[in-house]
Amino acid sequence: MKPTLASRLVAATGIAALAFLVLPLLIVVPMSFSSARSLSFPPPGFSLRWYVGFFGDERWMEALWTSLALAFISSIFAVVLGGLAAYGLRRGTFRGRDVQEGNFMAPLIVPTIIAAVAMYLGFAKANLLGTFAGLVLAHTVLSVPLVMMVLGVAIRSFDVRIEQVGWSLGGSWFYTARTVLLPNIAPSLFAAWIFAFIGSFDEVIVTSFIAGTYETIPKKMFNELILEVNPTITAVATLLMAFTILALGLSAWMLHRAGKLRETML
Amino acid sequence: MTDIRLEAISKHYGAFKAADNVDLAVAQGEFVTILGPSGSGKTTLLSLIAGLNQPTTGRILIGGRDVTGSPPQQRNVGLVFQSYALFPHMSVFDNVAFPLRVRKTPPDALRAKVMAALELVQLQGLANRRPAQLSGGQQQRVALARAFVFEPDILLLDEPLGALDRKLREELQVELKQLQRRIGVTTILVTHDQEEALSLSDRVMVLDRGQVQQIAAPQEAYLRPANKFVADFLGIANFVQLPGGREGVIRPERIRLAASGGLAAKVVEAVYLGQTIRYHLDAGGTGFVAAAPFVGQPHAIGDSVSLTWDEADVWPVA
Repeated sequence: MKPTLASRLVAATGIAALAFLVLPLLIVVPMSFSSARSLSFPPPGFSLRWYVGFFGDERWMEALWTSLALAFISSIFAVVLGGLAAYGLRRGTFRGRDVQEGNFMAPLIVPTIIAAVAMYLGFAKANLLGTFAGLVLAHTVLSVPLVMMVLGVAIRSFDVRIEQVGWSLGGSWFYTARTVLLPNIAPSLFAAWIFAFIGSFDEVIVTSFIAGTYETIPKKMFNELILEVNPTITAVATLLMAFTILALGLSAWMLHRAGKLRETML
Repeated sequence: MTDIRLEAISKHYGAFKAADNVDLAVAQGEFVTILGPSGSGKTTLLSLIAGLNQPTTGRILIGGRDVTGSPPQQRNVGLVFQSYALFPHMSVFDNVAFPLRVRKTPPDALRAKVMAALELVQLQGLANRRPAQLSGGQQQRVALARAFVFEPDILLLDEPLGALDRKLREELQVELKQLQRRIGVTTILVTHDQEEALSLSDRVMVLDRGQVQQIAAPQEAYLRPANKFVADFLGIANFVQLPGGREGVIRPERIRLAASGGLAAKVVEAVYLGQTIRYHLDAGGTGFVAAAPFVGQPHAIGDSVSLTWDEADVWPVA
């Protein structure tokens, strides 16, 4: 079909909007390889000094390990709990299901700052402020809606009668879930885990409120920016972007494969 | 192998009664078909027997054991759905082996049983295939093998042939009937296809809006329907007025087309069906359908004929 003027305009607008969103992010990348002592664009020369600085700095490394451990543990909790919740909400026929669904999705809809204040007050009462357990708990709560969205779709599109047959053949709910449901939604499970991992790794607002002396990568970036404009930030930002793009690309590929798999099932 | 009893089973969804006071006794080894239009509650009944759903009131007994309220795992039921519901990520062998693995069958016995079941459904060569690599008919055979390989007490079939084309469906009907007779398992089939019900079952249960209309042998239900609904739902029904203001039903093949001496009618339509020809007739404003063997010169549209029948072939319906 020949592109019309309207379709060209739509395409041009789309590309312009994308550029507007992405270009500021991309400016950070050359700046992170800059040899300049302070933030300047365009960079006067190429250097890896900010990367060396990042990996050589004990406090950055400590923040990195905290972030990784936090993201790893909270994402696994979120996948287990969110997966069970998604299953119950998709398969269940109990009263108040919509209310329950709203309840689980709330962390995604409520402004994060409100969630942060609420958790700050709640955690203070429970003596969880400034503890690693508190951070894991908070990040799990924030990641559950992401997991539920991804797995809710996967569970809904998996014919319940296949599970019912499994039960009628004598398989317990756990046995059937493990041997029938999980292998079939594995790509979505993996994608959900990546979403939860990134969600936790990028989280800064709630973390700033409740982390106490714990430093995570985004929290430390935030604090560094308040004190001084240090080009190490651009190196960290570039690493974060690369990591996020890779992880999202991987999960998109997994979900795409899941779609392909479903086609071959029919 | 066991008998099944449903005692005053009702299933309500709010004000809607998907099953309304249903009684049914299926003898050991019997093949009973639950027949009804869509929305009549037949699938609901099947899911209640399988334990996928619990009745609002009433009792379900399998082999004399009250299983009301017990989960599907404890009912020892083989279940086959129209959608096959095979485990998509497993081979044919692993699909059929599933109920045996759950029962911790030793590997040698498991292998022997799976292969014997696959042989019964003529799929012994396809054990390593994935469901997606099989045709619809083959997939349904796998589902069947999986449903009987563990020697269940009863077999429940929910429109098992509904997704197949007509020729394959008829072939599989014969196979299914032979298989059922061979293993002798008590079987309940759900279908809206009245031909399937008549050809497969020892008895049919006709259901409408959750209520039992008739439970009888297929010929009995066809020739002596309990009411107008059954008469209309099973095959084609001609309704005639009987003395005393009652109505009677007569089947198309019992109506003869003569030259004279009966009810005068005109041929409106003649439908060629292979062995028979079906005439749609107009007798002074009343429609009739008659079926005649396709021999000799058939009547043409517009022909004047005379309809006769034996009074004994008219069955009074309320």
